[in-house]
Amino acid sequence: MAQTYRKLLVDPMVDNNPITLQVLGICSALAVTSSLAVAMVMALAVTSVTAFSSFFISLLRNQIPSSIRIIVQMVIIASLVILVDQLLKAYAFEISKTLSVFVGLIITNCIVMGRAEAFAMKNPPLASFLDGIGNGLGYGVILMLVGVIRELFGSGSLFGIPILQTVNNGGWYVPNGMLLLPPSAFFIIGLIIWAFRTWKPEQVEEREYTIQVAEAH
Amino acid sequence: MPEQGSGTGWWARFRALPVDSTPKTLAVAVALCLFCSMVVSLAAVSLRPTQEANKLRDKRVNILQVSGLYNPDIDVNKAFEAFEPRVVDLATGTFTDAVDVATYDQRAAASDPEMSDALDDDPAGIGRRAKYATVYLLNDEAGNLDKIILPIHGYGLWSTLYGFVALEENGNDVYGLQFYEHAETPGLGAEVDNPVWKAQWHGKELRNDAGDLKITVSKASPPADQQVYHVDALAGATLTSRGVDNLVRYWMGDQGFGPFLENLKQGNV
Amino acid sequence: MGLRAFFDRIEPNFVKGGRYERYFPVYEMFESMVYTPKTVTRVAPHARSYVDMKRIMTYVVIATIPCVLMALYNTGLQTNLAIASLGEDSITGWRAGLLSTFGIGFNPSNPLANMLHGLLYFLPIYIVTLAVGGAWEVLFATVRGHEVNEGFLVTSMLYVLILPASTPLWQVALGISFGVVLGKEVFGGTGKNFLNPALVGRAFLYFAYPASMSGDTVWTPVDGFSGATTLAISAAEGYGQLAAHSITWWDSFLGTIQGSLGETSTLAAMIGLAFLLVTRIANWRLVVGCLGGMIGFSLLLNIIGSDTNPMFAMPWYWHLVVGGYAFGLAFMVTEPVSASHTNLGRYIYGALIGFMVVMIRVVNPAFPEGMMLAILFANIFAPLIDFFVVRANIKRRAKRNA
Repeated sequence: MAQTYRKLLVDPMVDNNPITLQVLGICSALAVTSSLAVAMVMALAVTSVTAFSSFFISLLRNQIPSSIRIIVQMVIIASLVILVDQLLKAYAFEISKTLSVFVGLIITNCIVMGRAEAFAMKNPPLASFLDGIGNGLGYGVILMLVGVIRELFGSGSLFGIPILQTVNNGGWYVPNGMLLLPPSAFFIIGLIIWAFRTWKPEQVEEREYTIQVAEAH
Repeated sequence: MPEQGSGTGWWARFRALPVDSTPKTLAVAVALCLFCSMVVSLAAVSLRPTQEANKLRDKRVNILQVSGLYNPDIDVNKAFEAFEPRVVDLATGTFTDAVDVATYDQRAAASDPEMSDALDDDPAGIGRRAKYATVYLLNDEAGNLDKIILPIHGYGLWSTLYGFVALEENGNDVYGLQFYEHAETPGLGAEVDNPVWKAQWHGKELRNDAGDLKITVSKASPPADQQVYHVDALAGATLTSRGVDNLVRYWMGDQGFGPFLENLKQGNV
Repeated sequence: MGLRAFFDRIEPNFVKGGRYERYFPVYEMFESMVYTPKTVTRVAPHARSYVDMKRIMTYVVIATIPCVLMALYNTGLQTNLAIASLGEDSITGWRAGLLSTFGIGFNPSNPLANMLHGLLYFLPIYIVTLAVGGAWEVLFATVRGHEVNEGFLVTSMLYVLILPASTPLWQVALGISFGVVLGKEVFGGTGKNFLNPALVGRAFLYFAYPASMSGDTVWTPVDGFSGATTLAISAAEGYGQLAAHSITWWDSFLGTIQGSLGETSTLAAMIGLAFLLVTRIANWRLVVGCLGGMIGFSLLLNIIGSDTNPMFAMPWYWHLVVGGYAFGLAFMVTEPVSASHTNLGRYIYGALIGFMVVMIRVVNPAFPEGMMLAILFANIFAPLIDFFVVRANIKRRAKRNA
């Protein structure tokens, strides 16, 4: 059993990563990764929401009527998200200002709903909780990775501490402004997926087409 | 389960119903909603004071920063006691008690037709201007006026920029300028937050000796004797710079704090 | 030992079964650079067209020659003019040293001095582009086992011509890397890219280093020289004020104005376009569509008019000669890989670009220039346009035969 719990936690990091394999939760990964600190708080928020929503849904799974199960899941997730949002506003005001609407939008993060529907509805609470943590962390790992690249090369700092002295502050580094714009995360996530699938070729999806070889004329 | 089938009480009968039956569905929905709404409102109510304090602290930090008094170690609320918030009637340029200074919200007032004027001549792009503005006076230890902090806002490229200007006691020398809310392009317009650019404002003068409003933000560098009225535009951010130029000139001009600053200089406020 | 003999001697090492089989594409590249290849391309390199790629690419490179010459002349001219206006003190750097050593001088009225000075800006950028971009091409060709093809020569030439002369070389390298890798190779190489790689590289620089790249201020590489591009002046003061900055329509048409290396001259771009049209590389429908879209929409905006935005009043013949419109029309809009492939689709695709470029220039407050973004935008829509054209065609035929 210990082995399975471990697997529940570790599997979503690389082998079954929600972002790189399932390509879920992309919108927030674009929006909140221009600074590492914000990305980390977002990762923690999503992890706790996924873990606790999976836990509570799993607890109630035998009492949830199937006709309203999506609504029930949404209500539980939404309550948890509001809770997280209120806590952030009270205890991490600066960061909650930058995260703004994106905390609220965790409700629509496919990872949370996906784990609730696919795993928590069929598994016991502890396993669901761990599965939630694992998936949240899998999401968080990618978020942090993107955050490191974007903050380091976009603003020359990490966690707000200057690493590469930028030209505007009298240093040598010309920051790459594109990395501060959300679309850059598309490229970075794309490249990360490329790297992951080169490392683990079994993640590559099968082609839906074949390229025709032209006849010799 | 012994009570199953005993079928006497309504509770037992209810429990025996399948999960998907209508009464059970309704019961689950109602119970869940009640419970969740209770949790959420409990959190909202109990955390509200902390959140309000945060918001207030945030604003105070901005005021302290623009007056150069902030460092991360100070007690913000204690440091802020040095400031005296007052409400200014923008039309007459005098202090007023028409609204309570502790609760007056200039931003809310700007969208209230009772409390604001629609602008015809609107270089700052703000649409309506509140009749009253909250300013903060900083007195030195001897009780003399040291700095004046004025709220300013106006439209840049993508968003309205909100900020403060700190003036020296003569109401003409700029001590600092800072925006606390905007959504300009990162790397271009968002460089209004760049400390190097902000530092340029220190020591600039609003008006010349004849009383003409001279301060500008522009690309072209003026002759040496005009440098004291000139702040360099942000590289590559023409429209944000123009926005900052417009809003600073608007708020420092006759439609903004001009009358108030004039009164201050004459000593009759 | 002759070069041919050398290639023949080392060839067995690279063919199937040889020691360096992996590096065949590298061998092939150098061999076909020098000699006509012995083999013909077997796999469809140009996934959607049957035209021989080598011919297309060579002709496009030939068509850029007028623009290259104009780039050399105008870059030198603008630099020398700036030097003349700022005085001798502004002559610094290795280029100036070299020109002084050979006694060529900085006289803006001496065409040879201008050409050579321009060449000293053009060459470093071009060499860096070829070296860095070429390295990526070879790397991908080696790993994926396809051939290094001439498409890259076109990409690198176009990329250099749309860069400002003042671009730092490391930015040149970064841009071409992005263009080649993410604009082309990730999709499978030349012929499978749906975006124009040269523009992707340029767009990357535009968004990454906007302060020096957005087309707001001019790019003349002399310290202390500043001014505004024709488009920035037009946006701020109206095109009528261009004359006050001593820019006439004819200057714009001939290309003796500030701007990126090779895109200032409408005349040079038109010569290139004429060559491409005559050789049937460029499809005239794309050109007609693009001109139609631009002229139509700018006329409409002229009629609508605006009190606050002087760009509304800019007539179409000015839109034609300022910024990158003419260059983009000649070499980017007509690029066969990323354009639409149906005849009706070509009109629509061209018109979309023409419409978008005016839209961005006039209505968008942030970007003075719109050609690059308009073309990239239309690139994305090209397959969709084709899809609907083909489907409409099928429907029409089904009805006819029903």
